[in-house]
Amino acid sequence: MSIDRRSFIAGTAAVAAQFGFASRVYAEDKIVRFTIAQDFTRIYTFVTSEYNQGQRDYFALVNERGGVGGYKIVADVTDHANDLPRAIEAYERGKREGAVLIDPLSTPVARALVPRALEDKINMITAYSGRSDAADGTAFPYVLPLSINYWTQAGLIIENFKKTEKGSLKGKKIVFVHIDTPFGKEPLSILQVLAQKEGFELLTFPYTPPGNDQSAIWPQVRRARPDFVIFWGAGVGQTVALTEAIRNGLPMDRVSSSVWLSESDMDVVGRDAAKGVMKVEPCVGGREPKVIKDILAEVVAKGKGAGPEAKVGTAYYNYGVQMGALMVEGVRLAAAKAPNGPVTGPWLNDGLRSITNFTAEGLLPPTTVTREDHQGGGMGRIARWDGAKFVPVTDWFAANQDVVWSEIKKNSETFKTTGK
Amino acid sequence: MDWMLIAELAVNGVFVGLMYALVSLGMVLIYKTSGIANLAQGAIAMTGGYVAWVLLAGLGAPVWLAIPGALVGMFAFGMLIERVALRRMIGQPVIMTIMLTLGIEIMLRGLLPGVFGASVKRLDIGIPQAPLFVADLLINRATLIGGGISLVLIVASLIFFNSRFGVVMRAVADDQTASWSVGIRVERAIAVAWGLGAVAATAAGILWGSTQGVDWSLSLLLIKALAIAILGGLDSIGGVLIAGVIVGVAESLATGVVDPLVGGGTRDIVAAVIILATLLFKPHGLFGREHIERV
Repeated sequence: MSIDRRSFIAGTAAVAAQFGFASRVYAEDKIVRFTIAQDFTRIYTFVTSEYNQGQRDYFALVNERGGVGGYKIVADVTDHANDLPRAIEAYERGKREGAVLIDPLSTPVARALVPRALEDKINMITAYSGRSDAADGTAFPYVLPLSINYWTQAGLIIENFKKTEKGSLKGKKIVFVHIDTPFGKEPLSILQVLAQKEGFELLTFPYTPPGNDQSAIWPQVRRARPDFVIFWGAGVGQTVALTEAIRNGLPMDRVSSSVWLSESDMDVVGRDAAKGVMKVEPCVGGREPKVIKDILAEVVAKGKGAGPEAKVGTAYYNYGVQMGALMVEGVRLAAAKAPNGPVTGPWLNDGLRSITNFTAEGLLPPTTVTREDHQGGGMGRIARWDGAKFVPVTDWFAANQDVVWSEIKKNSETFKTTGK
Repeated sequence: MDWMLIAELAVNGVFVGLMYALVSLGMVLIYKTSGIANLAQGAIAMTGGYVAWVLLAGLGAPVWLAIPGALVGMFAFGMLIERVALRRMIGQPVIMTIMLTLGIEIMLRGLLPGVFGASVKRLDIGIPQAPLFVADLLINRATLIGGGISLVLIVASLIFFNSRFGVVMRAVADDQTASWSVGIRVERAIAVAWGLGAVAATAAGILWGSTQGVDWSLSLLLIKALAIAILGGLDSIGGVLIAGVIVGVAESLATGVVDPLVGGGTRDIVAAVIILATLLFKPHGLFGREHIERV
């Protein structure tokens, strides 16, 4: 990740000065304001700069083309550093300035902001973070993951293993190596249910955060002689896990992880050494999708890109474009329903919860968000690292959604009754 | 009980412990000479890792040039810390000096990821990742080589402290006023100790960086280094060697034996337990000198 703190500060200053992507947003323009308060400097640094660059480039593309539904997008970018007081301050500032959406990209921040977002009716995007049970739109009307949650990702991985084993995992041994935090433990409930349902043996190995030394974990994994391995962490925990798996001679084509694996991680581990490892892909990677080509031609080529050109098309960059495109699609639909607004949280919420079969011109799987399903349908695919890029090994598919939704409902019901 | 697993964890624990011990070595070198516990040692190791990464990946220097370059650069950095920050603290209470080192730790931990970006950096010094099996035991090549280099450096430090300049440094450690009175340049001896401490930290930072990548988490080595230095004795280089092995093996076995019983998370508790138990029951560590003050 080459966008460092200096680049971020410079970028933010540019945005604040209205000389960045918002340079063509004038006082007379009708605007929709987003608060893009994310962690650029502490825990989520492994993803934020690329994700944010993708979002900002997409908003720039939309604004360059004259906006959407008569509205231009204004995104206020700020660093909350995964710090709750700073995040709440950013949220309140955004609310005061008329923001109708916040994207904190942080599980603890998203969890802390849930009651405020619900009460203030401000749409909170919790892509690949936050509460997995927020997929239940009836319990969390203003919390919108708009992406596959960790339970769904675990379900997709198991389904792919099953396909590899020609339809049956009975008697197989699957090892789950995870960071010992609530995020790392999250898929456990689904994996346990699936272990019972599919008849495989599940062995779990937690490692201490941040996961920079896992040398005593992986010999145990190797000695367990697993048929498949899932590793689940982020940042340094992911690269160390993969490195140790390689050092222990585990076959990479039987090792898989969540959405948190990127080209940058492969650079750290060694591009050739990691050949074969799999991950869940929530959208298309690389520069082939039309929208990425458009960004390159209409934003980056004009010198208006939000970060280094080299990062355009990386996995996390495209996640950012994916989420930016979904937000903008929500605006388009909201404006189609009520062209003159007023632009409020409920106005945008109506649009976001009307997204139907949206693919952003082939970037993401067909995504349908409803008042009940904020996950968007639960489709993803499995991709394999070939030494240079992640190559899809499956088509878009949804799997084990019955088990996933049972867990979602169980937890969202608890939220409805206890508020926790 | 899988005895082969226990053996494998123990063997790899020895090498990991030796790599931890290299960070402690710097603490001991500084404590032996100046009587100051350097709490910036973890961040200095991280800084050394970043410097090596800049030389290797940023400037494209070959490994044979980048590593000595980083060591020399960090020797100068260690001396600079002593000259700019520590020397100004002469005459101040020791606790203030220790707090200063903590301040340096916090500053470096924030500054370097800020300058170079917080993502993990690859530091490839040519250690192959292919598994190395001895019978049914897998030996981790990275920790095997890292542990071996650490052992050599620790033994070299033992030899150094018996050299002429080493004796000078020991004299400074014993009595700074008496050293001054016989013409020893006490400031220079302390500055060299800081330089050597930074070199040891850098060597550790490079070895750990090649194992896990370079990022802020290298600074977490401080906790292990502290546990080893306290257990071995803050002024004992030999103690570092033994304590490093004890801590490494204990951590490794805790992960393999205790974790499955309690659901995980014991690895980091080991260092904390060692620090507490040593301070409670043997405050000077296994090999540290007891200072008897006559009143």
